[in-house]
Amino acid sequence: MIKSLFKVACGLFLVSASGISHADETCMSPYMAKIVGQEDFVYVWTLGEEGLGDEQDKLVTISVNPDAPDYGKVVDSLSVGGRNEAHHSGFSDDRRFLWAGGLDSNKIFIFDVHTDPAKPTLHKTIDDFVSKSGGVVGPHTFYALAGRMMITGLSNNKDNGGRTAMVEYSNKGEYVATHWHPTDEDLRGAEKSGQFADGYGYDVRVMPRRNAMFTSSFTGWSNYMMDFGTMLADPEAMKRFGNTAVVWDLHTRQPKKVFDMPGAPLEIRCAWKPNNNYCFTTTALTSQIWLMYEDEQGEWQAKAVADIGDPSKVPLPVDISITSDDNGLWVQTFMDGKARYFDISDPFAPKQVYEKVIGSQLNMISQSWDGKRAYFTSSLLDNWDKKGELDEQFFKSYTWDGDKLNLEFEVDFKKEKLGSAHQMRFGAYGLYGMDRPWENEQSDEGADEAAE
Amino acid sequence: MRFQFAGLALALLLCQYAAADSNTEASSEAALPSIRLAPGDDKSGYDSTAYQTNSLSLEHRKGTALNLAAFAIEPQLGLPDPKESLELEPNAAEIALGRRLFFDRRLSRNQTMSCAMCHIPEQGFTSNELKRPVGFEGRSVKRNAPSLLNVRLYERFFVDARETSLAQQAWSPLLASNEMNNPSIGHVLEQINRDPVYQQQFKQAYGKPADMLNVGYALAQYQQSLLAGDAAFDRWKYASDKTALSKSQQAGFELFTGKAACASCHLIGDQYALFTDQQLHNTGAGYQASMLGEQKEITVILAPGIETTIPAEVAQRVGEPKPNDLGRYEVSLNPKDRWKFRTPTLRNVALTAPYMHNGEFLTLKDVVNFYNQGGQAHSALSPLIRPLNLSATEVDNLIAFMQSLTSSKLKLLVADAFAADVQDPE
Ligand code: HEC
Ligand code: HEC
Repeated sequence: MIKSLFKVACGLFLVSASGISHADETCMSPYMAKIVGQEDFVYVWTLGEEGLGDEQDKLVTISVNPDAPDYGKVVDSLSVGGRNEAHHSGFSDDRRFLWAGGLDSNKIFIFDVHTDPAKPTLHKTIDDFVSKSGGVVGPHTFYALAGRMMITGLSNNKDNGGRTAMVEYSNKGEYVATHWHPTDEDLRGAEKSGQFADGYGYDVRVMPRRNAMFTSSFTGWSNYMMDFGTMLADPEAMKRFGNTAVVWDLHTRQPKKVFDMPGAPLEIRCAWKPNNNYCFTTTALTSQIWLMYEDEQGEWQAKAVADIGDPSKVPLPVDISITSDDNGLWVQTFMDGKARYFDISDPFAPKQVYEKVIGSQLNMISQSWDGKRAYFTSSLLDNWDKKGELDEQFFKSYTWDGDKLNLEFEVDFKKEKLGSAHQMRFGAYGLYGMDRPWENEQSDEGADEAAE
Repeated sequence: MRFQFAGLALALLLCQYAAADSNTEASSEAALPSIRLAPGDDKSGYDSTAYQTNSLSLEHRKGTALNLAAFAIEPQLGLPDPKESLELEPNAAEIALGRRLFFDRRLSRNQTMSCAMCHIPEQGFTSNELKRPVGFEGRSVKRNAPSLLNVRLYERFFVDARETSLAQQAWSPLLASNEMNNPSIGHVLEQINRDPVYQQQFKQAYGKPADMLNVGYALAQYQQSLLAGDAAFDRWKYASDKTALSKSQQAGFELFTGKAACASCHLIGDQYALFTDQQLHNTGAGYQASMLGEQKEITVILAPGIETTIPAEVAQRVGEPKPNDLGRYEVSLNPKDRWKFRTPTLRNVALTAPYMHNGEFLTLKDVVNFYNQGGQAHSALSPLIRPLNLSATEVDNLIAFMQSLTSSKLKLLVADAFAADVQDPE
């Protein structure tokens, strides 16, 4: 316990000489060291595609520091075997390891990203997630807590539907506990505040200063693995989406209140400022921005605060990202390939102020802590991505000048025979007290020493 | 809620007691566990904004084992003599082995898919949650998963009747690239023979390790124990219980065997009722899917009571082309067999939605409306299918009748399935 508290303190207050201070790139766990300066690498958790290259999932490392000699290039690609439905990943609290999950195979790959940030290695593979967790399928979000990794599930091994749980692991990769989402039959002490308690899961975020943890809800294996067009035309399948978000007691891991949030609320992003006690999420199917906020009585509430595009056209908002000053929210819509920037200075009245088509399809965004750089990738889910020519697979690097996005470079994941580009995480030498190799070479001749 | 759970626990205890006593007793209504015969995640009424969830906890999805070897030969009202419909002599060790295999998710190429992921016990041993199941790596399967209840009463297997025994059938899903996608038979056998529990079980049941034959036998042993007769209809028809059917259900029976002539294919006999003639017919459902029904737009459900309409081409951009299905023709290559499918039993049909070979009919009402309009007219349509001129009440009565075909034994079988361990990589 004391040890883990100490780790939190380290995470929160660590400041290093090379411009690294606490917390990341706006969507990371508050328990974790952040890169507030220039990131050196983006790690892209990539889905293998049949008939392309080596056909398997891989961690692709892209050099993104404009000062680096290999800027804009893929500097490493680490294949892990199989098409696991690579999806999301997250660092451990000390940021030395990157945990990346497969929504289909339920495998969890733990990469060492600290020994050589330019060349991650596979440190450990967990392949008994389902049996250890008591039947949870589809490890999705990897979210660092003190000394722990909280993993959200999407499905279960009984009916491949949406009822699921969060699963807690130690940093060492040992199973700790399963926290089932509240259902009507077993609310687990939570209040069902509206009509729904479906027991579905998707993302998790925490607000330690309010002792609060938030989860959202998506759909089970049989839907997220299904051909997207087939699913849209299957009314039974379309009923199997989550319509809830849950606020939990962070310390006890007990669910406290279930909110109705119709239409599959996905990514959750909490505000950073100490008095901004609210988090945003967007509903994929109903295309709304929702706010979960603490009211004057200290009670958590949820409210739809804006539409995204024309909801009747199903633009399908997927990834979102909040700026570190809590004033802006990027919302990506998959169907029209647009990045949309919302002014959220009034969190109850977000206004879209900018949009740009990034590609034929669009999912993830990662922005730098200062908001000046934004990276985008294309893939949503292997069987949901567009077909044929429309299935562009890319990583695109932009700068954001406050008014518009400017393309800096892009990597065509098909041309490079890599696969479908999914989630991105940042790496930097400074995180691990290392000097950037090219700065060494320029500044002193003693670089040899470091190399030995 | 807590009360309900206590009730379930009590019922399970009772059931355990009864099961230990004898299976005949176990089948009596009083001992039935309070198991929901529907998805644990209830979506009925989802098309209304008044929809409320009624979801079960997976932690509480527990059951009680049944003596399946005894159950498999226990006579059931409305079914033929069980000894005559056996493919294999029931054997407890083999059934236990087959049951473990059936729920073993490691038996697919990437160790994520068991038979039970498409044939889900509480969903009538089929999948209620989609039209057509999703296989290995999410690959599309072109047919609806049929219920495995009473499967042994079929003379031939699959909706195109291409397989001749249950034991042989098992290898189809194990090897199909869009189902469990194993690379070879040997690969499956090695996988099984590596597991110490299976080593023990195969030795006990067959005196040797798993091989191509005994894996099929074991799976067939489990599936042939899934007998589910003794429905309200059977008590009414074969046990002279005049109160077992409502007025509407009795009227439905009259239509089924009379004006609507459903029983000309879904047979009802004097001693028992299979509700199938074991033959293949063209009802027009296949023709309709192959030749007609190009939609310009599709209605998409977004949330409870919220839907929208999008141009079909929007869905096509993110979807693969709809699969075609010519039914029996795909086996025989005889043009006369185009769009012919095997008559399915209608036992437990209220629990096995969606319907027909492609799952395109979501409710029993959709099916009856289809028959009422004369199926889909075309030159190869079965002469037995014609417009029926049923009134709305008659349609409802037919549906009510089909709802009387749900077996009273089902909860025992589902409770038994819940008691089976689901195997995942360890
Ligand atoms: C990916 C989903 C899926 C899996 C996994 C699967 N099935 Fe099926 N099953 C189906 C479908 C779809 C059909 C109908 C196919 C047809 O008729 O051509 C079917 C048909 C059957 C039938 C024939 C039923 C009848 O009415 O004739 C049996 C028996 C059966 N499956 C048993 C099994 C067994 C045993 C396993 C595991 C070894 C299994 N299934 C795995 C989807 C699945
Ligand atoms: C010509 C023979 C025939 C007649 C007459 C007939 N059926 Fe069928 N029935 C079939 C066949 C064949 C299928 C399977 C069709 C398919 O899979 O596309 C079927 C399927 C069904 C199904 C779907 C079962 C499932 O599990 O998917 C229902 C319900 C049904 N029939 C009810 C009826 C009713 C009610 C009537 C009378 C109004 C009727 N049938 C008349 C042959 C017939």
